[in-house]
Amino acid sequence: MVKYNILLTGVGGQGLMLLSAIIGEASTMRGVKVVTQEQHGLAQRSGSISAHVRLGDAYSPMVPIGEADMVIAMEATEALRYVEYLKPGGAVIMNKRIMHPVIETGELVKRRRENLQYVTLDQVVEQLRKRTDRVWSIDANALAEEAGNPRTENVVLLGAASRVEGFPLPRDALVEAVKKAVPERTVAANLAAFELGEKSLG
Amino acid sequence: MTFSDIVDPEPKTAFMLTNHAVARAVLESDAKVTAFYPGSPTSEILDSLMELSRSYPDLVMEVSSNEKVALETVAGASMAGARSFTSMKSVGLNVASDAFYCLGYTGVNAGCVLLVADDPHAHSSQSEQDGRYFAPTGHVPMLEPSTPQEAYEMTRYAFELSEKHRVLVLIRTTTRVNHQSAPVKVGKVERTPIKKRKWSEVAAKYYTLSDTARRLKGEALEKLKVIEDELNGSQFNVVHEGEGKTGIIANGVSYLHVMEALDTLGVKAPVLKLGTLYPMPRKLVSEFIRGLDRVVVVEELMPFIEDQVTALAKEVNPGVQVIGKHSGHFGMVGEYNTAIVTEALARVMGLTAPRYSDVLAESQKLKSILPVRKPTFCPGCPHRGTVWSVLQALKGTSYVVNNDIGCYSMLLLEPYGVTDSLLCMGASQGVSSGMQHVLEDKVVSFLGDSTFFHAALPGIVNAIHNRHNYTVFILDNSVTAMTGQQPNPGSDWGAAPVDELDIEAVLRGMGAKNVTVIDAFDPKPNVDRIKEALSKPGFSAVISKGPCALYNDRLKRRDRVPIVPNRVSEEECKTIYACVRDFYCPAIQVDVETKQTRIQEDLCNGCGNCARLCPRSAIHTTGGD
Repeated sequence: MVKYNILLTGVGGQGLMLLSAIIGEASTMRGVKVVTQEQHGLAQRSGSISAHVRLGDAYSPMVPIGEADMVIAMEATEALRYVEYLKPGGAVIMNKRIMHPVIETGELVKRRRENLQYVTLDQVVEQLRKRTDRVWSIDANALAEEAGNPRTENVVLLGAASRVEGFPLPRDALVEAVKKAVPERTVAANLAAFELGEKSLG
Repeated sequence: MTFSDIVDPEPKTAFMLTNHAVARAVLESDAKVTAFYPGSPTSEILDSLMELSRSYPDLVMEVSSNEKVALETVAGASMAGARSFTSMKSVGLNVASDAFYCLGYTGVNAGCVLLVADDPHAHSSQSEQDGRYFAPTGHVPMLEPSTPQEAYEMTRYAFELSEKHRVLVLIRTTTRVNHQSAPVKVGKVERTPIKKRKWSEVAAKYYTLSDTARRLKGEALEKLKVIEDELNGSQFNVVHEGEGKTGIIANGVSYLHVMEALDTLGVKAPVLKLGTLYPMPRKLVSEFIRGLDRVVVVEELMPFIEDQVTALAKEVNPGVQVIGKHSGHFGMVGEYNTAIVTEALARVMGLTAPRYSDVLAESQKLKSILPVRKPTFCPGCPHRGTVWSVLQALKGTSYVVNNDIGCYSMLLLEPYGVTDSLLCMGASQGVSSGMQHVLEDKVVSFLGDSTFFHAALPGIVNAIHNRHNYTVFILDNSVTAMTGQQPNPGSDWGAAPVDELDIEAVLRGMGAKNVTVIDAFDPKPNVDRIKEALSKPGFSAVISKGPCALYNDRLKRRDRVPIVPNRVSEEECKTIYACVRDFYCPAIQVDVETKQTRIQEDLCNGCGNCARLCPRSAIHTTGGD
């Protein structure tokens, strides 16, 4: 199979590692070659985190610069933070949500007379569009709430990603992997989240 | 990966993290005693073995007070005849090194394996230490995997090698291998019952000293020659035939980057992947470099392989040009990636690499709008309140802060930037002792509960005995939080039943006269309590108690106890920002329209410290609605 590279990004604590495990699990179930690279430890404390997923005939566990076919971002600014990995014209599935870092909020308050502004979703999307026009921003937080569990934002985004043309894993494998990887009592909410994610992309 | 794949005894192919594959191999190898001190990037090994010990009662798993004790524990078990295993991070082996170097002399009895994980790039360590040099200086054989599958197989083999030659075996990994996942083909778990034996059945001695030390060192070196012969034919060293007179030698994750780079560049150069790093299989390496004009050595950190290849080349192929770090093609700082390796190989081979630097430069421009995001204390973290109180108490005074290793290390990052020194586990105590001899400022230090037991005790004993003058803040969150909330000697739980040590009682037992205990979730009254402790001459300790938020939230989810967030009242908030200034909770943001603060309720764990700091009492619990 030809290589398909996915970079997962977000903020520590959002469930990014579970997302990488689900994709790895689905690939293994279908005999698709897969290698992933995760991040644990220090950065997980509300820091910027990423996970690399490589499907097909790849060697290195890390997506090379400029070769990510898709970026799935659980937080909007984190979609842009790793833009060097994105292939020109690659797909970006991103959460609309911005979790403003404490440094940014601290500055906003300290320098309130200067009327500083938070970075906005529109600004982030505008920058991303300079590298690709395939950007989908999704209100995963609202859809996760609708699915019955705010912690299913990751699976909402996975559902959306699965609808992007060229995404190499079949729906049934992803659903099966979600069922296997998430805690039993959250299976229903996660499956609802997956479907809402799928629909969000039309 | 799910835990069910590791625990299920049947053979299978499952998607696994390297650390989980290693734990599975330890289980399949019938190791009986395992002991660890957690440390990134190895922590998932001990987490899995703790879980496994609950399903396999013949498997002993212990969280030790430090890495030295862990290594000594598994060495003792091996001497007594049971297979044993420990793993630790790079700098953990520094702590364990005293025992390690002796074990290189004495050897072991039953299979005894030590995995040490280096951290190129210092992702979550205080240095980029290259642990490979422990092997030649300790006379201990060393293997290094590239993939989860290989890590599994090497761990199985390491037990065989250890037992066959009665030597400790080192497996060296790096972060990008420990935290790599892929499908792994594992075997069947077949455990034998654990039984107590008699020491008389062992009939061996494990000590060194004087003439014994010299004899044992000689024997250890002789064993390494035999092992080298064996490793020349090892399945873990792989030669990829290729074209041309430029060959590549690589190890670990660098080997994977090399294969990717050659693919990208469209060349088929001969490659030797080294999986047995010490003793180096000189016969195999000699054969590989014999016909080459140039040999490129690709390895992260220091020129461990390169220097040995250079020495070997002098004997077998003096004309070969060795390209690596000394030639300036590769660096010694930071980790490698495909771009770095592709660019260097392209330069050597006169080819054109993709324009990585252009992509990086353009991306930097696109990213210029982004705010800085550094790791920081989680919502609900007890440290946030403690640190707020300590900094309030110190305000207007002249002081120096000696920090230590744990979540509170993050104090050195923005937005705090409150750290003057930070060396290694427990060092804040000795450094404070030295500084109080020289400085007129107030000397303060930070410690966590796990670090207190790990390596700070000798420093505190020393400070009390020598009547040193400084204050230590012990942030007791009841677990080893940063590495994934493992238990420590102050915890009331472990893999098996434990006795919990009380830090206050330990300090008083050691003779500390000024010990204050505070509640991390009582920030305002704590300021005066801390001021009083700081005013006492001599050694004083303030123990701040409050459970780790991640650990506490996990317990709540497990027990189905609701996590009830707080909310800022729009009527009462007067935009004073006491909940932002010097507090910095990631759950709190400013509403762009109203300029009031807003709590992101799915992030808030309801600790209530922000509410306690609000002068208008404008923050209230949502009550779970």
